Amino acid sequence: MDFLNLLARLADLDSTSAAPQPAAPRRAALGQLGQASTALLPGLLLSALGQPATAGTLDTRTRLDVLLLVRQLAALDNELHSRALGLVPGYPALPLTATEKAGIQVIQQQEVQRIALFSQLIVDGGATLPATPRYDFTGSKNGTQAALYPNIQTNPDAYLLVAQVIKDAAVRVYKSQVDFVRSDIYLTETLLRTHSAEARHAAHLRTLRRQRGVVVKSWVSPDDAAVPATSAAITRVYEGESSSIQTYNISDANGQLGALVSVPFDSTLPINVATPPLSPEAILRKVAEAFDEPAEAVVATNVAALFTY
Amino acid sequence: MADLADTSFSGRALHRRTFLRVAGATAASSALVLAGCGKDDDPTVTDVGTGTLVFAANDTGILNLTYLLAQISASFYQKVVTTPPADFTAADTAACVDMRDHEVIYRELYKSVLGPNPQTGAYDNGLATALEFNFTPYTLTTRAGVYAAARTLEDIGVGAYNGLGRRLRNGSYLRLLLKITSVKARHAAFVRDQAEPDSFAGSDVITQTGNQAGLDTIKTPVEVAKSLASLVPVVLVADNLMLL
Repeated sequence: MDFLNLLARLADLDSTSAAPQPAAPRRAALGQLGQASTALLPGLLLSALGQPATAGTLDTRTRLDVLLLVRQLAALDNELHSRALGLVPGYPALPLTATEKAGIQVIQQQEVQRIALFSQLIVDGGATLPATPRYDFTGSKNGTQAALYPNIQTNPDAYLLVAQVIKDAAVRVYKSQVDFVRSDIYLTETLLRTHSAEARHAAHLRTLRRQRGVVVKSWVSPDDAAVPATSAAITRVYEGESSSIQTYNISDANGQLGALVSVPFDSTLPINVATPPLSPEAILRKVAEAFDEPAEAVVATNVAALFTY
Repeated sequence: MADLADTSFSGRALHRRTFLRVAGATAASSALVLAGCGKDDDPTVTDVGTGTLVFAANDTGILNLTYLLAQISASFYQKVVTTPPADFTAADTAACVDMRDHEVIYRELYKSVLGPNPQTGAYDNGLATALEFNFTPYTLTTRAGVYAAARTLEDIGVGAYNGLGRRLRNGSYLRLLLKITSVKARHAAFVRDQAEPDSFAGSDVITQTGNQAGLDTIKTPVEVAKSLASLVPVVLVADNLMLL
């Protein structure tokens, strides 16, 4: 295949994809082209990536942006749990049970491991690590405003609530970031494996809270007791999670995207298998439970901003 | 040709200074593999009639594998809910009902996305009766046995999804897969904590050392097929998915 032919195919891929696209159609097109030719690929990648990204309403991020984001979230989490465990001078350990503490330690240590991984990837890529932020998990910005969680350094329930919200937000945001690294197999797998590890952590924190008497499932559910709306950023973490609508684009054998289809959970799919069957409303609540919805990076960074100053 | 025993891309050593080169290099090397294999031309998904289920080297093959995973999990939790162990609590049953419902929802989602075509749709479109899964390797008469089995199944699911994600071409399928992956990981964490407290992210699933430390389990399609072999009444052939 000659170079002009390749370019023609690139243009063709871009112009024929009328259906809603991932945030980076250019990247998707490159991905498809990558499977068509090899010899010209490095040059093509360089020239294509050298062009300015298509402007749009959707969030777009570089791989470095994604790495900085996931490192920021891991560092936030590490600090929260380290303080709860009494690992940070000036912050006495919370009165957690030995079993609770052991589980929190697992989470905290895995955050440390991932901070190391993401930091290395950022530095190896030639970028600089940002300065360590100053944290205040009461949300008072170091006493300059009313605290959102005044007893977070003494009350395990307040701490576990914030810990759950941060994890649930991370799980949602990681999904949207995968779109931005799909051209990079290594980063895609690393992000996927971080995403599922975060979901494990989130489920564990939810299990801990349930054991302490909170009405909350290990998976995000419309049946969960509402998280107190201490700020718009916290409320936004669960916005859209109760949706029972799932859509996808059909595609042909070559991956060409076609029409957008809505999965008929509310009509023809035989998903209501309980005896006796659930009400139509109840089965759609199960559908909402069965899917964690993606969210843009700002959902998590807004939460992080509550606790940094 | 790719080594079929190769575990994962992120499992390979990533050396200093290679980070920025990874995208170009991997795109090029995958393209080499693919160019040599004429992928996506073969619509054949399965020939269960001969006792073999072959997954095709395309999104349909991938979704048929996730379909099978959902079928197995739905069938497993249905069995538990129908005949719960004597020491199951009401909370145990409620959780298993939730997970049964989630898995039925995934199963029907995949079947719906794959469509009714006997050649290119769900692998069992042409079958008179659905496959019956064999859970005799597990002890389902005790609470501990149920959660140990669920742990195995859910961890296979998480590892499978983490390995399949980058192989999908249709980005909208990947988004669906990601929405499901995290709920599967939540299932896994829950059942693991029930089987053994604080094991939600244990060292058997989260890598503890080296440059993958802190990352969750990942399985290749061939590893997934091998893990499921004892449960399924046909031979699973996932080699084609390794080419993706």
